[in-house]
Order: sequence, then structure tokens, then C-alpha cells
Amino acid sequence: MSAIDDLATEFAKLPGIGRKTALRLTYHLLKQPAEQSRRLAQTLLTMGERVRPCERCYNLTEDVLCAVCRDPRRDQAVVCVVEEASDIGAIERAGEYRGVYHVLGGRLSPLDGVGPEDLTVARLVERVRGGGVREVIVATNPSLEGEATALLVRRELAGAGEVAVTRIALGLPVGGDLEYADGVTIARALTARRAM
Amino acid sequence: MPLLVSDAIVLHAFDYLESSRILRLATREGGVRSALAKGARRSQRRFGSALDLFAQGSAQLSTRTGRDLDTLAGFDVVASRAALAEDLGRFAGASAIAELVLHFQSDHADPALFDALAATLDAIAAAPPSRAVDAALAGAWRVIGALGFAPALAECAECNAPLDDEAPALFTHAAGGLLCERCARLAPGGRRMPGEARRALQAWSRGGEADPLDAPAARAHLRLLREFLLHHVVDGRPLRAFELWERQSTGSGA
Repeated sequence: MSAIDDLATEFAKLPGIGRKTALRLTYHLLKQPAEQSRRLAQTLLTMGERVRPCERCYNLTEDVLCAVCRDPRRDQAVVCVVEEASDIGAIERAGEYRGVYHVLGGRLSPLDGVGPEDLTVARLVERVRGGGVREVIVATNPSLEGEATALLVRRELAGAGEVAVTRIALGLPVGGDLEYADGVTIARALTARRAM
Repeated sequence: MPLLVSDAIVLHAFDYLESSRILRLATREGGVRSALAKGARRSQRRFGSALDLFAQGSAQLSTRTGRDLDTLAGFDVVASRAALAEDLGRFAGASAIAELVLHFQSDHADPALFDALAATLDAIAAAPPSRAVDAALAGAWRVIGALGFAPALAECAECNAPLDDEAPALFTHAAGGLLCERCARLAPGGRRMPGEARRALQAWSRGGEADPLDAPAARAHLRLLREFLLHHVVDGRPLRAFELWERQSTGSGA
């Protein structure tokens, strides 16, 4: 195989990149100055060597603990459980949450071979058993797989001591229009209604 | 592009690029199809909650000759089956059924299979957690029957001699069902099935119900079903959802 084929094959392994796009990226890099390709290669190497999961919450970090876990202003007694590290960014952008996180590393997906043992639920249970956690907020996606994963988290935490397990609210989006919402979303919003 | 409008059930979904999803759909008129739902992750307005796993509705698919991937133009949800996520046994069982259909069905229309799949998912969703494994086993054999792989249960799979309903009989995957005493003596292997297990299998294959299974019976049925499926899988792909369901149901692991 040629170097062009090698690189295109590697690109094609990335999510959402097909063979055609992989070749387009490869030819694009070939047109760039060699220094740019060297920088890209070095950045990839550095990322692979430095970035690792936080020892406490499995967020991505270059240190032993991630920036959120190290922050003394964060409420360590409230843990928000998310599927992926990238979900943390979405919650942080909202600017409302002051607790810490726990990254499961995915969601239950039997068809993709992802079972309970592939997620960091056992580590979350250990963390709660270790004490100091008052509430666990389960913020997995509002999909069937996300709900099943939330159920797994709740089940596993049931024997982990005195901790409140809550689920993020599901329902109508802010700024949305009731007329255009689908039946399932409206039904969930009605189920999760609250007193005013 | 020709438009295919068909009842459909979402069997598998995964993210594609930044905001789209690729779905594997079981359709009444077009068999199992792959479809690109553009912008499905970003815009809830376009597809709403319709594209969730096991949801059923009317799919509008833009098809192109020679292309494996359709484009999903719309999906009007009829049933969401959220109850499948309210119990891990139901979720695992439904996933195993979806895997079964994805493994074995082609892109040819098969209304009977579609109806068997829909009825099975409904039955699992409605089953109490303690009977979720029974409902999924029943559905699996019903779907297998609709796929055309139904095992011979009333007569010998080798010589067609009628079988006594009550007596234990040898089930062999190679022969494709139960054997009479004479043929069983010549068979190289198999599993001896008690009358109760045979009656359950017969009821399930007809789309009926059987007596509730205790834990050892459920384990035995899961093992038989796994062996049966593996015998018929020709492409070597592992049955990952089935393995998880078996572990979940027998308490070994999950």
C-alpha cells in the first residue's frame, strides 16, 4: 500500500468519514506545506500521550484529576452523570451547574455490544460508597438507550447508601411551540409537570 | 427519487457526521432498510422523538436504484414503546429481537415478519418485569417462524413421523427440530427436551403463550435459542445483543 492509501485508510476509520472524504482530506494535506502536516502529526501524538481519563470522574484531562474535580468552588456532594465527556461541555455552557461530574463512557447499547460492564457504573457506585455524595443527577440522553442506562445507574446505586438519585427533566424545549411538539414529548412533559 | 412510504420500526440508530443519524428500519413494504436522517440530532422539529429505538410509525423514504442508503424524508410516529426502557430485561430482550431481524431479514417485503416483530415488541413492552424473558423468548421463536426457520416440533425433522406431545424428544439444530426415537439413535448430538419445554416452544412458534418459566427453564430455553441462531448465522457476525440478554436474564454478569 502507498502512503496515500495508508493515510486515507486511517482517516476512513474516523466516525462519519467515508472513503471519498478520506481521500479528499489526504490530497488536501498533500497540497499543504510539509510543516503543517508535521504539526498535525505531532499534535495527534501529543494528544495520545497526554490526554487520559480523570481518575475520579472519567472526564478527559492532562492531569490526574480534571479541572472540574480540582476546582474547590465546585460542590463535590452533587454528581451529574453523563454519557460522554463531550456532554460536560454542553452542561457547562449553560452556566447553571456547580457540582461535579461522572462520565459513564457511553450508554447501554446491546446491538453495539455495550453492556453494563463497559460503562463506569461500578466506579460511580464506589465513589458514592466512599461518602460525601448527597445527590446523583442522571443526565443521560432522553432516548430509549439513555433511559435504560439511567435505570441501570439507579438500580446499581440503590444499595450504595443514603444518596438521592434524580433524573434531569424531560419535556418541551424552551422557546418551542406546543403546536409543533410531537406526542411523545408532550406526554413526557405532562408526566413531569410540577406544582406552580 | 422514488418515494417509499411504509410502516416502519426503528431497529438500530447511530450518529452520522455532526448532526445526522443513520437508521436501520424494518419496513412492511421494503424489508430491512438503512436510511439517513439528515439533521436528526440537531433539529427536534423535523423528526421529534420519532427516531428513538423501537419506535413505530409511517416512514417516507427517498430511494435510489443501486444505493444501499435511503434518505428519510419524514417519520410520523404511531407508537414509541418507551416502556421497553423501564426494565432492563425488556430492553435487553427487545434488543436481541432487533438483532435477530437485522441478521436474517433481507430488503424484500415481508408483511408477516413485520407484524410478528411489532407484536413481539408490544408484548415485551407490556410484560411485567418478571415475565420479560418469557415474552422475548416467545417473540424470538415467532419471528424465527416468520423468517422461515421454524423448527419441526410436531413431527420428526428427519422422517416426518408424528411425535408424541408428552414424551421427551431430541432436538438437533442440524436436523432443524425434534427427532423421533429411531432417528435420534442415529443423530450425532442434540439436546433432549422435556414435554413441557416442547409445548412451550410449540405455543411460542404459533404466536401463543406458555406457562411461566422458572429460572432453570429460562436458562435452558435461552441456551437452545442461542445454539439455534448460531447454527443458522452464516456470516460469522457475533450475536452481541443476544449475549447481553442472556447474561441479563440469567444473572451472570449484568
